[in-house]
Amino acid sequence: MTDQRTPLLSVTDLEVTFYVHGHAVSAVAGVSFEIYEGETLGLVGESGCGKSTTGKALMRIVEPSKGTVELEGVDITKESGKALRRARTRMQMIFQDPISSLNPRRRVKDIVAEPLDCWKTVIGVERDTLISDLLSKVGIDPSLYGNRYARQFSGGQCQRISIARSLAMRPKLLICDEMVSALDVSIQAQILNLLEDLKAEYGLTLLFIAHDLAVVKNVSDRVAVMYLGKICEIGPADTLYESPAHPYTEFLLGAALEADPDSPMHSQVLEGEPPSPMNPPSGCRFRTRCPNATQKCADEEPLPQEVAPKHMVSCHYPLTIHHKSTTPTVLEG
Amino acid sequence: MSDDKLLVVKDLTTTFATAGGDLTAVAKVSFDLERNETLGIVGESGSGKTVLSRTIMGLQPRVNTTVTGSSIIDGFEVVGASENDKRTIWGTEVAMVFQDPMTSLNPVMRIGKQIDEALRVRLGMNRKDAKARAIELLELVGIPSPAQRYNAYPGQLSGGMRQRVVIAIALACSPKLLMADEPTTGLDVTIQAQILNLLDELKERLKMSVILVTHDLGVVATRTSRIVVMYAGRIVETGTTRDVFYHHRMPYTRALLESSPKVSNKSHTRLVTIPGRPPNLLDLSPGCSFAPRCKYATGQCHSERPELRPSIEPGHAFACWNPLPVNAEATLP
Repeated sequence: MTDQRTPLLSVTDLEVTFYVHGHAVSAVAGVSFEIYEGETLGLVGESGCGKSTTGKALMRIVEPSKGTVELEGVDITKESGKALRRARTRMQMIFQDPISSLNPRRRVKDIVAEPLDCWKTVIGVERDTLISDLLSKVGIDPSLYGNRYARQFSGGQCQRISIARSLAMRPKLLICDEMVSALDVSIQAQILNLLEDLKAEYGLTLLFIAHDLAVVKNVSDRVAVMYLGKICEIGPADTLYESPAHPYTEFLLGAALEADPDSPMHSQVLEGEPPSPMNPPSGCRFRTRCPNATQKCADEEPLPQEVAPKHMVSCHYPLTIHHKSTTPTVLEG
Repeated sequence: MSDDKLLVVKDLTTTFATAGGDLTAVAKVSFDLERNETLGIVGESGSGKTVLSRTIMGLQPRVNTTVTGSSIIDGFEVVGASENDKRTIWGTEVAMVFQDPMTSLNPVMRIGKQIDEALRVRLGMNRKDAKARAIELLELVGIPSPAQRYNAYPGQLSGGMRQRVVIAIALACSPKLLMADEPTTGLDVTIQAQILNLLDELKERLKMSVILVTHDLGVVATRTSRIVVMYAGRIVETGTTRDVFYHHRMPYTRALLESSPKVSNKSHTRLVTIPGRPPNLLDLSPGCSFAPRCKYATGQCHSERPELRPSIEPGHAFACWNPLPVNAEATLP
């Protein structure tokens, strides 16, 4: 597996606090994870859980209030000025809304060339060849469409152009924030396959942030589940989906709708809504909605524990793991 | 037609006069709906599903719009009826839950008043009775402490709660048919499960019929008894939910099913994609609208439009010249 290698990105105790009318809102409340070279880490959670803020904090689009973000050994949180800008070329971000993330009045080839023109890494004929190459890679014919304006393209095509732009600097890490959630299923499948192809071709490492559990599983090697600013469970995609250890993950998977009339209907539906991050519950943040919560959950914050190989969960009473492949692990409460 | 049907739609066509020419958003759509039945209308963006649901209840724009055919709700012909006549069925016979709970409520009006409005105007209730009934409705849709919430503004409620309020407004005058246009799009999975369960429960309790309009096959798979699949304004396949999922004959239906990622798939499953994108409705070919993207297309598909024709199962019909074989049992990926 991957973790003999040193991680490409390691995030330690990342915190992001916003101030709303003087009240502190901790959007990300101490998140640690690693991404190894060549893997895809999926980050799932419901709206407001801090998954997008985590992605943005890695790029320092929003400023982390605490913690470190190390990319290839460089601590992004300590850099500034030109060094920060240089470090940022190693990672790129693709955003949710493909239409609004491109300037409608600029030509496609100029949009894709923007990072190159900023850094002057490639100039002249070489630059033009590279742009044409990138556009063809994402399935946009450069001779036909290169001179068109971004506003003339549909959502799916704009997302392809965004991908081409993000690859121009040959980054190591791509942060994809809900990049397919605005697209129709047939277009979504095209973009997901394209992403997998380019990942292999360019040797990319991905942080794939999304709310759609099926999409995340499809692209990820490992998946992290966030709830109210914290990671509650992280593990290999297949095993985590097969046998979640955190009650929240189980509810989340139970609520996911499968396009199959024979899929089992989960009678148990998570009641209520997430509490406000302005005033999070003490101890375990999920305890207010958790059916298994006890006094211990209110008093003590659960620390990550390993319940199966590379499968970490932050819960005092994790669910029993039942992988088909391995012998069942019995856990104490 | 049998008197038993709650809704009979026959050759319903909606044409918009646009600057680019006449655009037929809904073309010759026919189907019917039993009492206490849930029907799903599925399609990608631009397939005409929203325009269809609005035309059925006579909510299409008044200008530059031509509607032909017929839509009979419980004996009332909607097509050609005056606005005043239509108002007699809106609310009491048919009501709509709109897609976006953020924008379908008046932000500067207390939610209680927005429910009261329907009761007082349509049912002629006095202020006091209307308030009591509104609080009952808020309770019915599962809003905690309804008497306090009665005085809340939409901005004080979460997306899921607002959608519950929108449902309460739709139910105010006890309609026989509830149209839900993408009722859970934009909501989190756990909230989506809550809202879909609520709709199911209300349908049984109030003996309503429900039309669920959505792009998400997961939403219709376990919640509907029959499905209508739309593409470029036309019905391309219709039948019981099981027939559409397991015995589909139309290649588009299969492509749609295959291109949706599934939670039960292994991670990194290659998705089957549909090449190209949905057609421009202003520039439709004389043949099958799906032909340019269909791998089974022949010359006939491009020149001659297939009409809906019956498959072997009762009530199952498809529009295709080269349908998938009948024994395509359990062909789901």
